[in-house]
Amino acid sequence: MTPPRRVQKTAPMVAGVVGLIAVALLVMLANASPSDGETASSPLLGRAAPAVQSTTLDGDSFDISRRRGSWVMLNFFNSTCVPCIQEHGALRDFVATQTTQADAVEFFTIINDDNDDAVRSFFKANGGDWPKVKDSDGAISVAFGVAKVPETWIIDPNGFVRMRVVGGVKQGFLEDRITELRQQFEGSSR
Amino acid sequence: MMSTLNKKLKAWPVWMLMGILVVALLAVGAGRQSGPLTQEDRIDNVTQRLACPTCDGESVYVSQAPSSQNIRNEVARQVASGQRTDDEIVAFIESSFGGQVLLVPRATGLDALIWVLPIAVLVCCTAGLALTFRRWKREQGGQASDADRALVAQLLELDTDPTDSL
Repeated sequence: MTPPRRVQKTAPMVAGVVGLIAVALLVMLANASPSDGETASSPLLGRAAPAVQSTTLDGDSFDISRRRGSWVMLNFFNSTCVPCIQEHGALRDFVATQTTQADAVEFFTIINDDNDDAVRSFFKANGGDWPKVKDSDGAISVAFGVAKVPETWIIDPNGFVRMRVVGGVKQGFLEDRITELRQQFEGSSR
Repeated sequence: MMSTLNKKLKAWPVWMLMGILVVALLAVGAGRQSGPLTQEDRIDNVTQRLACPTCDGESVYVSQAPSSQNIRNEVARQVASGQRTDDEIVAFIESSFGGQVLLVPRATGLDALIWVLPIAVLVCCTAGLALTFRRWKREQGGQASDADRALVAQLLELDTDPTDSL
């Protein structure tokens, strides 16, 4: 039995619309940005950084609210995570460059789901002379909404969260971002 | 008298009313608190409402991922401190991780589309089908068309009695 003429007319139109939607979805998928070393959205952007406190591996206290007045970077790290290991050279170079500047960025490693000895061994073997903050109960990771490492967060001198970077960073990436952020937010109160 | 009662019972509004009543009673029963909750119960309730940030479709309650473990620890801390309600704890976690951490999306704002769209699509499809069937029925009017008659005639001509060949 042949379908009614109207159906014969509308069926290709419906199929065409469905096809167009499928193609649009494919294009969206193809253009989706990869997660490595990319800035990402977060409900915390533009808001005051969560008031987190802890201690460093060296036994010093860490209180993010006391870091106001300078740019702060928090790098969530695990010594067994491959992208963390891969980005370590870029982080080391970034911190080395910053120490020569007057308004240096304060850089902290936040230890994510790792044991202290493994982190000490990693930094002894690979270098990196900056404070490593303990997060044994995961409070800092939850406060920043960190699900996977590595992640790097940038907080401005007024204590507002300005950038979230997910995945490992390449050489020069952080230098470029901090320069952009300084130009954009230096002197702004919000 | 009995047949009148049967007719009344068979009438659809009665069945609809019974259906609504059953759904309402089920909703009341499911939403009713059976007493004060322990801290463990509260932790379980809250973590069952949160999605594991690194897994697909798993709740924080069942997930063994480190990020879920961290969230469970945070929920336990907040429940122990007793300063926030369950909803406030969920909102706190959402304020860090974003709306995707909610296992059941909120029914407000853009998230409401998740609830509204399937119903809208279902209603549209049902209405579309009903209209189409109605139109087809009207177009054909239950009468055989000339083409139908010709086809039947053609088939009858071809249909030979199997005993003819004996």
